[in-house]
Amino acid sequence: MSVSKSALVRALHYTSVATRPRNTCLPRSLSYRQLHATSRLDVVKPFLLADIGEGITECQLIQWFVQPGARVEQFDKLCEVQSDKASVEITSPFDGVIKKLHYEPDDMAITGKPLVDIDIQSEISDEDAEKLGGTNGKQGPADESVAGYAVQAGGGSEEIAAEPETAARGTPEQAQQHRPRHSREDKGSLATPAVRHLIKELDVSITDVQGTGRDGRVLKEDVHRHVSQQTQEPVSREPTGAAVREDRKAPLTPVQMQMFKTMTRSLNIPHFLYTCAADMGAITTLRKKLNAAATSPEQKLTHLPFILKAVSLALQHHPLVNSSLDTRDPKKPALTYRGTHNFGIAIDAPSGLLVPVVHNVQDLSIAEIAVQLRQLSDKARNNKLAPSDFSGATFTISNIGSVGGGVVAPVITEPQVAILGVGRSKLVPAFDENEELVKKEELVLSWSADHRIVDGAECGRCAERVRALLEEPGRMMVEMR
Amino acid sequence: MITWNRAYRGAHLSLSQRRWLSKLTLERLATRPVQSYISTSNNPYLNLSLEHYLLQKSSPESTILLLYVNRPSIIIGRNQNPWLEVNLSLLSPAPRAATNSEPELAGSFLGAVDLVRRRSGGGTVFHDEGNVNWTVICSSKTFTRDKHAEMVTRALRSLGVERARVNERHDIVLDQGERGGDVVDGADMHVTPFTRQNAASRPLKVSGSAYKLTRQRALHHGTCLLSSPNLNVIPHYLHSPSKPFMSARGVESVSSPVGNILLENEEFMGAVQKQFAVMYSESRATELQEVGLEWLENETVGKGYDELNSLDWTYLQTPQFNVSNAADALASTDVQFTVRNGTITAGVLRSRNNSAFSQLGEDSVGTRLHEIAAWSTALPRMFTGVDRAECDKLATWLESVLPPSHKTAGHS
Repeated sequence: MSVSKSALVRALHYTSVATRPRNTCLPRSLSYRQLHATSRLDVVKPFLLADIGEGITECQLIQWFVQPGARVEQFDKLCEVQSDKASVEITSPFDGVIKKLHYEPDDMAITGKPLVDIDIQSEISDEDAEKLGGTNGKQGPADESVAGYAVQAGGGSEEIAAEPETAARGTPEQAQQHRPRHSREDKGSLATPAVRHLIKELDVSITDVQGTGRDGRVLKEDVHRHVSQQTQEPVSREPTGAAVREDRKAPLTPVQMQMFKTMTRSLNIPHFLYTCAADMGAITTLRKKLNAAATSPEQKLTHLPFILKAVSLALQHHPLVNSSLDTRDPKKPALTYRGTHNFGIAIDAPSGLLVPVVHNVQDLSIAEIAVQLRQLSDKARNNKLAPSDFSGATFTISNIGSVGGGVVAPVITEPQVAILGVGRSKLVPAFDENEELVKKEELVLSWSADHRIVDGAECGRCAERVRALLEEPGRMMVEMR
Repeated sequence: MITWNRAYRGAHLSLSQRRWLSKLTLERLATRPVQSYISTSNNPYLNLSLEHYLLQKSSPESTILLLYVNRPSIIIGRNQNPWLEVNLSLLSPAPRAATNSEPELAGSFLGAVDLVRRRSGGGTVFHDEGNVNWTVICSSKTFTRDKHAEMVTRALRSLGVERARVNERHDIVLDQGERGGDVVDGADMHVTPFTRQNAASRPLKVSGSAYKLTRQRALHHGTCLLSSPNLNVIPHYLHSPSKPFMSARGVESVSSPVGNILLENEEFMGAVQKQFAVMYSESRATELQEVGLEWLENETVGKGYDELNSLDWTYLQTPQFNVSNAADALASTDVQFTVRNGTITAGVLRSRNNSAFSQLGEDSVGTRLHEIAAWSTALPRMFTGVDRAECDKLATWLESVLPPSHKTAGHS
């Protein structure tokens, strides 16, 4: 007493191999011992966002047309995405059930990364298989067929193996439609997923194999026979012992993208570099004394707050260096002298280069500046920076000295007209007033300025003023309000 | 036989004639491989709905041209932020010229200007009677981004506009400056005798493109500035005072200097129609079919029209953004809002002088930004325990950055 084929398939269809009850009434010809299938629980595959052309690596998700649990048919709309000028509807290449959405509306979806996870319930061609991600995260053609439930019994039950995907549709009429469609895609060769998997594994071209099954269908024996007839050995993939050096394409992260955009705009700025070395001995002595008296680690000062204050004091005398240039209309560049000193501080955060801003440095004491710097770097480390932390910079300071560096050539961010790069201070031999050899702690300050607005002499004077203030901190005290 | 003259004589067809045209056109839609349409209406909501209908209902292998002209309106892209892209305070029927800081605008206001969110991507554009819009809908298999921009450029060149070319962003620009010495290929739509690497002045943009791609069909539409009287006013409409205060996801507009080509609308439309026919029609001529207000009788067009017209579509389709007055050095209280789907989801007021702090009231979460009539009344309701004077100062700032809409629903 055999169960009807469609009922059998339905029973298999909705249960995974692991939970299939052992005492299901199965036809004799099918027994679990004959099943070649290792338990293919992963019928759910991620569908990757296809390349929509024009070198676009990411696009914004506008809306979903499906939710997890929804059944989709081939060509049903999944979502709408937008990239620069194009809004694109993405449709499903398969029939199946949506399991997971990988993005929320407004998120940026990345080309080549999973868009949705879909439980595929149709036979898929090799072209479609390339749109899926592999289970171990490798991209490229999925090497296992998805219709794992299709009974992969050997030999004579090919008929049954062929039927499940058609019976699963429910009606034979639909099956007729689907079979011709797939045969067109296979270039006329009919074969079940199991056979196609075998063909791929043995690296054989399906068109070379003579099919002896119904309708010229290629069966497993046909493949084996074909292979044994070949004089060459079947290709066996050697275990790749040596590491394969392959190129890896990677889309830009949001932080990288922002940096890319900003720096590309900066290409329009004619930079010139002015460097000078400041003797940090006095500042270091001062710091050591103050830090020794500090009651908590948070109160310890680095040289950066001193540098910020020195720059701010110098900018009072050289406001041109703190100005903003608006070049939206190339015929009418607009120069604005900014009233406040908002310094962008370049920070090396886990996600990349971030430049949060310390506002109103002209009104802050050195201690207050130090507090702000600490807050900003804590927030950067914990990814807690808000948009308001990035806005309004009039001048930028890039302290690459934490990493190293002597002379550097920093890049100006528009609409600013200058930027200061601070290297790492080091001990160098020098001569004092008595022409005797002494140790000096030297810190190289590298100024880049926009030569459309700032000329060398102006930048040089500002730089020398900063140097004088740092070498003789008492002068800072005299100028402070 | 080109019959587009009728559209501009304002011919009003009798009821029976209209219905007959519609039925015939519907049949054509399903069968004819090449179709050309011209709209008799200058209603931007209708024209965009017609365009969308043609995209959805035309047969998959057909190629369609649609030409239309809109009354003064601002069209933002599918996923753009109207507060960020448009100076909304200028859109109201009764602009408050006195409070604006641009006295030169007083007297040159355009009155009511529509704000429309279209269904294709891209940036914000200003439409008026001196600007002709062209749309080509074709099979996605044969679609490329430049194909129809090149077609329109050929049309312009055939009318003597030899400076026109397609640039890297698929826009049509007019090269400026002197004629160069090199010989250029006349069939290349991407270079003109005036193109040079380091041009003294940037080329002027005369047409921008946007696309909508579905599985089988691709829609490419673009503008064409022929003789707009509003070029000096447009930058004011498209420059929002809220830009320094907003951080937003979504596509931002790329602004370019624009200029008029100085052709008549009919001349241009005729040339485009001719180039389209040459490209796609075997007989090298197509009949220009009129479409207009009568199409609202069609259910699909009507539904699309209502959707485009609705304030929900215009304002609530905005991606998430934050508004903050941190960049305003003069403020004494920080205000920050998070807006998602056009509704306020979070907000906080924080004093800059002391530790006073107030969070958005529970029942104000979900307030639709475009439904706020006046900040002076709305703000105290949203935040409790805030000094009245501070509130008023913030309300004034908010009025300029997030202008309340004076329009009521049902603008058409």
